[in-house]
Amino acid sequence: MSVSVSFADVLRMLEHCANGFDIRRTTHGRRVAYNGKVFPDVPKFDDIQIGHIRKMVRHLGINQECARQHGCY
Amino acid sequence: MREKLLATEPTIDLKEHPIMLTLQDSISGNGFLARITISGRSLMRMEDDGQWWMYGVRPAAIAASGANIEEAFLRFRSRYKEILFDIAQESTTFEDFASEVERFFNESDADNEDERLWEQALSAIRSGTCQPPTPFANLPRRAPETHPSFIKIERVDAEAKDVSLRPSDNVADSYAYSFPKAA
Repeated sequence: MSVSVSFADVLRMLEHCANGFDIRRTTHGRRVAYNGKVFPDVPKFDDIQIGHIRKMVRHLGINQECARQHGCY
Repeated sequence: MREKLLATEPTIDLKEHPIMLTLQDSISGNGFLARITISGRSLMRMEDDGQWWMYGVRPAAIAASGANIEEAFLRFRSRYKEILFDIAQESTTFEDFASEVERFFNESDADNEDERLWEQALSAIRSGTCQPPTPFANLPRRAPETHPSFIKIERVDAEAKDVSLRPSDNVADSYAYSFPKAA
């Protein structure tokens, strides 16, 4: 069993919690930049294990409470 | 008396596990071939989804999970290589590639939580109040003091200057439990 979130929910969370973020596809995944840092390890699938997003939130310095409210932490 | 003290000492149920990594890759880029060797750090823990998660500490911006620690390591290793592939894809020169790979390796988490937990877990193990649980029993033990984290990025194609290629340069993938104190 794994807990996952949809990519659409991750995008909504970024729009609300990470003003000025940038996201783009790479050959093997997705690369998110925010707050002067880069997180290149967002899986390219629509269904994403939440551990990847929790790590992204910690790495980029996204407000954890805001991410939690969007089901992403 | 000592035995009595040991029997009554509180033990910590260790949740976080400090892991040391050694990885080597050869990556083809736009007009170059690079060899990247790292001695890194990661943190393993069982999450509430029932999976073992391996969270990067150095490099930090990476995470992977598995049904057991071996699977988590193999997925982490695979994602690390794919990130190097992506960086190679987007770099027009060896210098661009090396600069971006170094940034990826050295960039810490904004909150440094995983690094703090890594140090805390190591201290807990060394204090003797807890032992690594069964899944980690067969991993080799390494002291961080004698295996500092580093990254080495070399150009190894025909254009490379001052490079000598030897079988002794080959490094096997490995992961180890951080444990003994340096002598």
